[in-house]
Amino acid sequence: MDSSKFSMIWLVLGLPLLGFLVQALAGSNVVKAMGEAKGKKVMGMFAVAPIVLSFLIGAMLTLQLSGAEPAARSFVVAGPSWIEILGLSIPFEWVVDPLSMTMVLIITGIGSLIHVYATAYMAEDKDFTRFFTYLNLFILAMLILVLGNNLALLFIGWEGVGLCSYLLIGFWYTDHANARAANKAFIVNRIGDWALTLGMFLIVCLMVREGQGGGSARLLSFDVVLAILPKALAANPGMATAIALLLFIGACGKSAQFPLYLWLPDAMAGPTPVSALIHAATMVTSGVVLLNRFNIVFALSPLASAIVVVIGAFTALFAALIAFGQMDIKKVLAYSTVSQLGFMFMGCGAGAYWTGMFHVTTHAFFKALLFLGAGAVIHAMAHNQDMRNYGNLRKYLPITFGTMVVAWLAISGFPFLSGFYSKEAILGSALASSQATVGGINFAQVAGWTGLFVALLTAAYMTRLMVLTFFTAEERWRSIEPSHDHDHHDLDKNHVPHEVPAAMWVPLGVLAVLSLVGGFLMERGGAFQKWLYPVEVATIGKVGEHPEGIPLVALSIAACALGIGFGFFAYLKGLPRNQGLDETRWSPWRRSQRDQFGYDEAMTNLTVEGGRDAATAFWTWVDQGVVDGALMGSGRLAKGLSTTMKVLQSGYVRFYAFMMLVGVIGILSFFMVQGGGK
Amino acid sequence: MLSLLVFLPLAVAVVLLCAPKISDRISMLIGGAVSLGTLLLATVVFTQTKLTTFHFSLEEKVEWVKTLGISYHVGTDGLAVWLLILTGLVGSVVFGFAMNSKMEKGRTFTVCVLSLLTALYGSFVSLDLILLFTFFELTLIPMWVMINTWGGEHRRKAAFKFLAYTFAGSIFMLVGMVAIAMQYAAVTGRTPSFDVVTLQAATATGALWKGAMASQSLVFWSFMIGFLVKAPIFPLHTWIADTYAESPVVGPMLSSVMVKLGSFGMLRFVLPLFPEAVQAAAPALMGLATLSIVLGAVIAAVQTDARRLLAYSTLSHMGFVVLGIFSLTHAGVIGASVQQIAHGVTACLLMMLVGVLINRLGTSDLRQLGGIKATAPKFATVFLLAMLASVGLPGLNGFVGEFLTLLGAFQSGFSGFAGMSTGFAVVSGLGVVFAAVYLLGMFQKIFYGPERTWETGDMTDLKPSEFQLAGVLLLFVFLGGLAPNLFTKPMETAGQAARLMATESLGKRPSWSDAKMEVDFVGLQSDRGALIRLGPGNEPQEIISDSNLYMIPGKAETKPIAMRGDQP
Repeated sequence: MDSSKFSMIWLVLGLPLLGFLVQALAGSNVVKAMGEAKGKKVMGMFAVAPIVLSFLIGAMLTLQLSGAEPAARSFVVAGPSWIEILGLSIPFEWVVDPLSMTMVLIITGIGSLIHVYATAYMAEDKDFTRFFTYLNLFILAMLILVLGNNLALLFIGWEGVGLCSYLLIGFWYTDHANARAANKAFIVNRIGDWALTLGMFLIVCLMVREGQGGGSARLLSFDVVLAILPKALAANPGMATAIALLLFIGACGKSAQFPLYLWLPDAMAGPTPVSALIHAATMVTSGVVLLNRFNIVFALSPLASAIVVVIGAFTALFAALIAFGQMDIKKVLAYSTVSQLGFMFMGCGAGAYWTGMFHVTTHAFFKALLFLGAGAVIHAMAHNQDMRNYGNLRKYLPITFGTMVVAWLAISGFPFLSGFYSKEAILGSALASSQATVGGINFAQVAGWTGLFVALLTAAYMTRLMVLTFFTAEERWRSIEPSHDHDHHDLDKNHVPHEVPAAMWVPLGVLAVLSLVGGFLMERGGAFQKWLYPVEVATIGKVGEHPEGIPLVALSIAACALGIGFGFFAYLKGLPRNQGLDETRWSPWRRSQRDQFGYDEAMTNLTVEGGRDAATAFWTWVDQGVVDGALMGSGRLAKGLSTTMKVLQSGYVRFYAFMMLVGVIGILSFFMVQGGGK
Repeated sequence: MLSLLVFLPLAVAVVLLCAPKISDRISMLIGGAVSLGTLLLATVVFTQTKLTTFHFSLEEKVEWVKTLGISYHVGTDGLAVWLLILTGLVGSVVFGFAMNSKMEKGRTFTVCVLSLLTALYGSFVSLDLILLFTFFELTLIPMWVMINTWGGEHRRKAAFKFLAYTFAGSIFMLVGMVAIAMQYAAVTGRTPSFDVVTLQAATATGALWKGAMASQSLVFWSFMIGFLVKAPIFPLHTWIADTYAESPVVGPMLSSVMVKLGSFGMLRFVLPLFPEAVQAAAPALMGLATLSIVLGAVIAAVQTDARRLLAYSTLSHMGFVVLGIFSLTHAGVIGASVQQIAHGVTACLLMMLVGVLINRLGTSDLRQLGGIKATAPKFATVFLLAMLASVGLPGLNGFVGEFLTLLGAFQSGFSGFAGMSTGFAVVSGLGVVFAAVYLLGMFQKIFYGPERTWETGDMTDLKPSEFQLAGVLLLFVFLGGLAPNLFTKPMETAGQAARLMATESLGKRPSWSDAKMEVDFVGLQSDRGALIRLGPGNEPQEIISDSNLYMIPGKAETKPIAMRGDQP
């Protein structure tokens, strides 16, 4: 089988591009010409169709790929050159292998469902086609990110998805708060991108030093880099650590890990389908994909692995704790996402890279479902996102409730649901790994135990969300006095929530089925692991799958049961008074959870306020004061001198200039004649 | 050919100045037509320039002052051709924009812009130092008149500052020019020469600066002061903020080309003429470039006026150009040359869009703007794309130059060549983060927020004519991002020669005057820059020297295996 069999990959990329162009160039005109309702329907179809087709072709290619010899399942589809200078060639080229195709299926599959959902969710919005322009562009950028066969191409996708995220967070542009959230996302991500760029540079330099690409100038292409780099790095673990850490900082930005996670909670300002697609299922998992792609580099550096595993575990714990202090249903899910991403990095840091991808996949199912479900709730509750105004919604939204129950149990690690398997795989490998051992401390094991505790917390805060939203007989919005603003329908005591239309609940149903059986099917016989890593990774031998002497399954089932039990116990009586609308009555601990333990505020103070002060000070004191002052001062001195001479009083700059020129030429000619005469 | 390109605008300007009774509108139409004509000519020059050689094409040489060795000598090569097109492009857009915004005193305006075009074209093709100086100085007068005639409240002060500043810089340059001519006379015993080709030949053999390293260093810095002011680079940049803020917006639009005189001057004159001084000063200049990148961006972030913000943005972006040049790597030099074009296009577009704002609402004060996206969606989209190009988003033109210059800086730091450090690339890279801070901030302040009305005017969307003008520049934004090879390929040979002139040791330096000398690439992945000698039929005959393109000594095959014509 040769790579020409996979040239259809161009179509997988081309269709979303076409969709994007149609939306961008024709969208608003079509809606205008065909009338609001009909036009949106047509453009909605044009938005969904390319993604569905892309998925179908992707599925076909994946089947084809699985037909190849396991060890040879990596094909490069070459294309025209993008950047080409002597000694460095960066073509448009795509890699078709299990990792990229898994991501293609997630992106286009979940993407299709969310596109369908969004046609209904966004139906009322006047910027309907602008929304789908961005959404189609996002799918394209995300596909470039996972399919690009070199780091620079990956970087187009990497910043491209960041751009779409920026545009979609700030989608409702009349509110400056949305713009600030969008800017924050872009800028924080750029810090990660900075490190990623430096990582690229370092790789280029090492490739040059260690054999110059073995005959190829494609110094950033995965097939070239990953063939040469391990040999070079094996002798130089410091460089392995440096590259691994630079890539990991990039991953921390995109995948919202501490200390760069700050942007993700704010990103919830965007429309909910965006949160489901970009900020839960796909974009934020890019970092995990990157680590999997460069697993060889990480495998060579225990130090970097330890840092990854510690950051992952800490982020998982930190975000899970914060989730308890959130009342906005989307914010709870946002912190939950940060926390779950932490799990994925734990798996990668422990050296079991496939477990990270496993969790990426199952998390895409149940977290997309949770967000879309939350979107359905928000849709039904007149766009009020405060769980303190919810309650008893299972009565009104039975389908949403039913599907969300599946997702809730899946994320809580309920046995035989998808989350159970992937979390098991991560915790099992972490507890059995010695990959991240530095200075005699097995950080993977520490992270594994932390993860087990976070699993308990996860079950608890998710149960809190479910109980506050769907359970109990309290219908708390009944206590909101109606406002007299008739233009805008607000949540008030006369509100009756309605179940969402089919375009919205059908995707929920599909995702529920996937959350239910996806994990089981992928885990069976190690199917997913063998698919993703048919060839043994370098860490093998350091990574076990099941820790000996630890009854992990029993422990994690206990954690799940305890968490759910705690959630029911604490919230089934109704909204506790110490978490009510009056936040002054909250406990200090709950308030600090709400405020991210002060971290966000401290960082904002330091960077935004502090940065502005420093920049202003620099501008006024150094730039305008010292530099400009010194230069203009010497100018004034010269002018002053000439004034005292009372010769040149015309005041015309040209005249001064002319005289200066004449003078200088005169002096120099004199020297010249002298010099020439020697 | 080149003389026609250079003097056509000036000739028309003189006619306009002398001709009686030409209405403002007609003059501007004529000006626009002439600009388009020069753009066409520049394109022809592009096609006629031999890009596979580092020797000059379309050369014209006439003795001017024989006893002083001054001649009218022009020529073009791969490094100049895109700048010529950029000049024509920006000139045409400027006329289009001025006609759209119904500029007053159109005839004076036309005369100014046309003479400025002559000065710009002339500077890019000059191969004689005095000729260069003449064109270089000629840029000042039209700019000064423009600031003074159509400028803002503090225009007199700004005009004076602009003139005094750049003039002071070029005085240093003039002294340096005379000194190098005298040095030539002293070492050869012939008449002095201002001819770059002659001087470079003497530099390549080492004759010119033999035993005069201290004077080389002095002359080098005198040239650099002139170019650094023009570029502008910290700490010689403070003219640019006042100039941008007080000029009519066409000033900064043209300035997006004019600042390239500084960086182009470094590539064309400084690298070839002062090799030892360049290597010695490279870390210092990388440091200044880094400071420009970071401080420009930091200061831009706290500006409240869009024009001042763009001025500091120019400081930051030009920092990348200088960073690339003095990294003395192939990636750096090519990246710098590409960044020049990309910044020219993007800065001109952004400034024009700010001009649209000023035409509509009479202000570019970010504190007074907001909510414009609601009423002007097309304008918002175009602005967004221009802003993203400036941010350096991959896929748009800003990325390629920044990526390559930073890569080059990292490479020379990694190799430790000429005492350089990767720290420059690491810190400069932060400039890309800060660029997002100030540009996204500007975009937010102008476009986000609730829909509103203004007392000073209506914020209507872009007119079709404005949209077309922006569209032309946007085309280059996309081309530069998606097909950067269109820009890099023509520059490679000339860029590599300029770099080898500065980095190679005596006797291994390319020489413009030796027609049988050619730069080439050899090695497994065309990763070694080489100097070869051509045979009688111009076929490759012998490799004079070859060196690593990245400056990083490699373990691999160093034996050259490919020669000219065997391009893989």
